[in-house]
Amino acid sequence: MNFRDVELLSVYLDGQLNPSDSARLESRLASDPQLRAVMDDLRSARGLLRKLPQRRAPRNFTLTPRMAGLKAPEPRAYPAFRFVTALATLLLIVSFAVNGLTPFAARHLAAAPAPAYGMGGGGGPETAPQESPAATLAPFAATLPTETPGVITSLAPLPTQAADLSQQPTVEPYAKGFAPGSNNGQPARVQNEAPIPFVWQVALGIIVLICGAAAWLIRFNNERKVRKQWDKK
Amino acid sequence: MDEPALIHSAQRGDLDSFNTLVLAYQDILFNTALRILGDEDQAADATQEAFLSAFRGINSFRGGSFKAWLLRTVTNACYDELRRRKRRPTTPLEPDTGDGDEMDSPRWLADPSLTPEQRNEADELEHAIQHCLENLPVEFRAVVVMADIQGLDYVEVAASVRVPLGTVKSRLARARLRLRECLQGFSELLPASFRLHEEKPT
Repeated sequence: MNFRDVELLSVYLDGQLNPSDSARLESRLASDPQLRAVMDDLRSARGLLRKLPQRRAPRNFTLTPRMAGLKAPEPRAYPAFRFVTALATLLLIVSFAVNGLTPFAARHLAAAPAPAYGMGGGGGPETAPQESPAATLAPFAATLPTETPGVITSLAPLPTQAADLSQQPTVEPYAKGFAPGSNNGQPARVQNEAPIPFVWQVALGIIVLICGAAAWLIRFNNERKVRKQWDKK
Repeated sequence: MDEPALIHSAQRGDLDSFNTLVLAYQDILFNTALRILGDEDQAADATQEAFLSAFRGINSFRGGSFKAWLLRTVTNACYDELRRRKRRPTTPLEPDTGDGDEMDSPRWLADPSLTPEQRNEADELEHAIQHCLENLPVEFRAVVVMADIQGLDYVEVAASVRVPLGTVKSRLARARLRLRECLQGFSELLPASFRLHEEKPT
């Protein structure tokens, strides 16, 4: 007798052997006392296990919402406040970005013609290399008073104007505009040219704060209420 | 109990429906864990853990025997517990006889419906069977507990322990043989019918 026989006996005991194998095994059992003894042993072992008492669970294993990690359902008003807060925050960021990048963009546009000389622009006056600083200072030209003799006469010079200025020999002392006393001792005034008014930014900031706080309060109160209900269960 | 409807509700997050299923199956899961682990507290922990992971993973249940699916979660929880036990072995807090030996009939095995003598005998037999179960390799133990103690059929056992049907048959046969050999060491506790073949060669 080998282990295959033991396995057949075990399956036969559970009534899971197919009819043809069962018939063959039964004929062997009738003639083989050793096989019969093994089957009785297996049956006894199985019988003992089946007689083991079933114990009652020592407590209930039901889950609480907290154990299950459930979240309180969202209050109805919460998504609206959350959406407004997110939108206002986005607009605020965009407004800061637009206002912050505008001077750089203007400066970049003003400086754009300058490299043209060095890039096959047909050759400018020999003084061109000395004149480039004037071009890079073009945005500052807007801040200079118009009465400064021979320096800059327009408030918002276009790139071509900046280039024109750079070609004037009188541009050389561009530093005059910054020299003490050249402006009669008056500091240059910066004009506010922000595309998005500051008032709008303040308004957006207030909306973010109010709606954000309201969303948080609504959610906090709702969670507290729901958790109290869960704890009562 | 409309089990499919409860399962469907639980899959949509209804905890009350799931808890109805918990109440229906908690004894089966606890007994399975108790026979695999042999310790009531650890069995309770494994059962709780099994129900938690069952709730979290209930959407992975795709039909078939829900009992077998739950038993698989408790078997996994028991395997985890046994691995933990292996890493951090502990001393059992069972009562001793005063001279250093553990009592054969600790209180957790008591059945109040029997006389003291019957209870004593039943407790000792149960303790002996539990001892033999714990001597089995854990994969054999899980199969024999499912098939012979919980009464699952082969297909359900295969689903519960995630092994092929042929492996279930083989493990069950080996487990029964080993149990028989082990239990013969407790022959004085065994019922007369079990002792009949004690001396016969196998």
